[in-house]
Amino acid sequence: MEYPFWDIPLIGGGMLIGTIAILHVFVSHFAIGAGLFLVLTERKARQEGDSALLEYLKRHSTFFILVVLVFGAVSGVGIWWAIGLVHPSATSALIHIFVWAWAIEWVFFVIELLAAFIYYYGWNRLDARTHMTVGWIYFAGAWLSLLMINGILTFMLTTGRWTETGSIIDAFFNPSMLPSLVVRTAVTIALAGLYALITASAEADEALREKVVKYASKWVLVGMSIIPIGGIWYISRIPDQAREISMGGAPVVTLFAAASIIFSAFVFLATLVGPFLFPRRFHVTFAFVIVALGLMTTGVTEWVREAVRKPYIIYNYMYSNAIRAEETQKVWEQGVLGSAKWALLTEQDRHNPLVMGEKVFRFSCQSCHTVNGFNGIKFAVKGWERDFLDMQIQKLDQLKGYMPPFLGNDEERTALVEWLYSLNNAPQQTAARP
Amino acid sequence: MPVVVPPPDPAGLPAPAWLLQILLVFTFILHVLAMNLLLGGSVVLALSTWRAKHSEFCAKLSQRLSRALPVTMSLTITLGIAPLLFVQVLYGQAFYTASVLMAWFWLSVILLVLLAYYGLYLVQFRPEWLGAKAGVVAWISALFILAVGLLFTHNATLSISPAKWAEMYAASASGLNLNWSEPTLIPRYLHFVVAAFAVTGLGILLLAAGYRKTDAEWSAEATRYGLRWFVGATVLQFAVGLWFLVKLPQGVMMNFLGMNMVDTVVLWAGVVLAVLALLAAQRSAIGATVLVALTVTLMAVTRHRVRQMLLGEHLNVNTLPVNPQWAMFVIFAVLLVIGLAVVGWMVWQFFRASQPQQSTTA
Repeated sequence: MEYPFWDIPLIGGGMLIGTIAILHVFVSHFAIGAGLFLVLTERKARQEGDSALLEYLKRHSTFFILVVLVFGAVSGVGIWWAIGLVHPSATSALIHIFVWAWAIEWVFFVIELLAAFIYYYGWNRLDARTHMTVGWIYFAGAWLSLLMINGILTFMLTTGRWTETGSIIDAFFNPSMLPSLVVRTAVTIALAGLYALITASAEADEALREKVVKYASKWVLVGMSIIPIGGIWYISRIPDQAREISMGGAPVVTLFAAASIIFSAFVFLATLVGPFLFPRRFHVTFAFVIVALGLMTTGVTEWVREAVRKPYIIYNYMYSNAIRAEETQKVWEQGVLGSAKWALLTEQDRHNPLVMGEKVFRFSCQSCHTVNGFNGIKFAVKGWERDFLDMQIQKLDQLKGYMPPFLGNDEERTALVEWLYSLNNAPQQTAARP
Repeated sequence: MPVVVPPPDPAGLPAPAWLLQILLVFTFILHVLAMNLLLGGSVVLALSTWRAKHSEFCAKLSQRLSRALPVTMSLTITLGIAPLLFVQVLYGQAFYTASVLMAWFWLSVILLVLLAYYGLYLVQFRPEWLGAKAGVVAWISALFILAVGLLFTHNATLSISPAKWAEMYAASASGLNLNWSEPTLIPRYLHFVVAAFAVTGLGILLLAAGYRKTDAEWSAEATRYGLRWFVGATVLQFAVGLWFLVKLPQGVMMNFLGMNMVDTVVLWAGVVLAVLALLAAQRSAIGATVLVALTVTLMAVTRHRVRQMLLGEHLNVNTLPVNPQWAMFVIFAVLLVIGLAVVGWMVWQFFRASQPQQSTTA
């Protein structure tokens, strides 16, 4: 509302962020778990004097830096890029509230990154003890950066007492912060095993392959077993309305929530009957099938987590369309286009309801809806008459709990109705009717 | 068209504006130094890889640079995060607006960086497999990095041109604008690129010093080669810098030509230090590096002053509401010191163990 709105046809901003974010989550959680995996497996290899296992770890760590340091780091910045473009007001709010938390996260990230390089380039250079210490430093830096990001991310859904106190401590240690941390930590362990299944299954030495495949599968099973415990705790801490949306309140979200559970179960079962019970017969294709299932689980779960936050982008503080909850009265008085300076409304526009309606749509609705693509409004209002459109818009938040109230004035609402109606009805027909 | 500037974030600044500005400029300097080595280094890598077949010197230079560049890329990105954070705190109103106006181009930075980064790793890890194509891959990486720099210049110049925003948004809300009409765009971009070649020249001098004992012949040739880059780029920079200065709006330019004594002294002291670095480079690479780092510092301050002057009262950070979080700042500062100590310890351990060990098993 306060910033120019980036018009992305067909896919919309949410899908754009989602695509980058899901890939990033899938790699960044691996980045953390892999730290623990590398250092614990290195200790095991050294204690057992297993030089073949140690050689495998060196190869695995090449894969690790190519995935983590390149894709993980760049896609993480990519999320930041994308949210700033799609939701500048919300990004600005998170930056201003949490600037020192971000700065602290950056310190941990710098440690994590340098430790990763030194661990990798230090395989043949550092003595065993120092090398493992660097490995532990890597894991500590990586997990601590998760701790920071997790506090900020959970705040968006459970702002808790912060809306009253405005205290950064209340914001960071919000109601869902700890359970989410447990779930995410468990995910990192499962993903460390999952990625190791890929590199292990590509090993030529049969005995080594069998050993590492079996070993990595245990990481997946342990991680996957902790997730539901943290998950139930997490669900108990989120707002009632968010829970209801995922349990029937919005059918699509409910469907995705169910898919999340089913895919997780598939990952667990596939790992159990595949690499865990029959490590000898495990192969690369099978590994990629489990990884694909893991990616699908991550995708639907993150999607649900985002969807249940509606109608807010920051709970009880800012609606999805960037209007602050405390400003609703003001916007209602000034109108949507009176408040949204970037609508650049001209006197000419005022006489053209279709132009005006489209501008109202852009600044009230388009952060979630595209015109004729993802969550397309054209399909949602197909067959709706003007009266019905008008009634729906007036009672938007009452009829659909996951949508914010419409804050436009009578003139703007009429224009929006006219524009929405024109989407599915030819213009001459629109013009002919009063 | 009206001048539309988004209102400040109601949360206020989490520390006084002066502190955030110091952090912004300081972390920007660190980022720029790493970026210079990356940008110039990737071009020199491309040149040397291209000629590796015909010259043993180039073959070695290519190999030695290829080992350093992925880490430099990583440092550039990581050190860029902090100034990007502080610029969003102080100048978010301008930064987000400019970014949205050029959204698709701005987002393409991520893809270009990702591909350039993988290209650099490909050249480092698989030169035999690439064969003659290594030069092509290195050039693609270098060109992508040069393109990223140009997109940053578009964003930076657009961020300080509030008068253009509304008209641009009216022209395209799809994020397809760029700032080609900006008179300072090209000189400003070249000012950064040429500086990157100069700093890379110094980087090659330091690389050469590292091989003085093990490969004296190569080291001597690399020293001459690095000096050529440093001297050539620095001399060229006097022309480019002057071009940039005269393309600034007159009111801004005059501040650096005596209207404002502090601004004038900061800018021209930077120029004098660059001249001194030119004289020192023949004798001491480290001396020249220190002088150039000081030049970069003064130039970064000058750049910040240009931003302040051009934004004027449209976005004056000194008038933004302040809502300080001192306890959090102290935690950050303490962790930063601990973090630097940990990083220092690891780097020290790494270079102390200068000889690769025969076996890693204990």
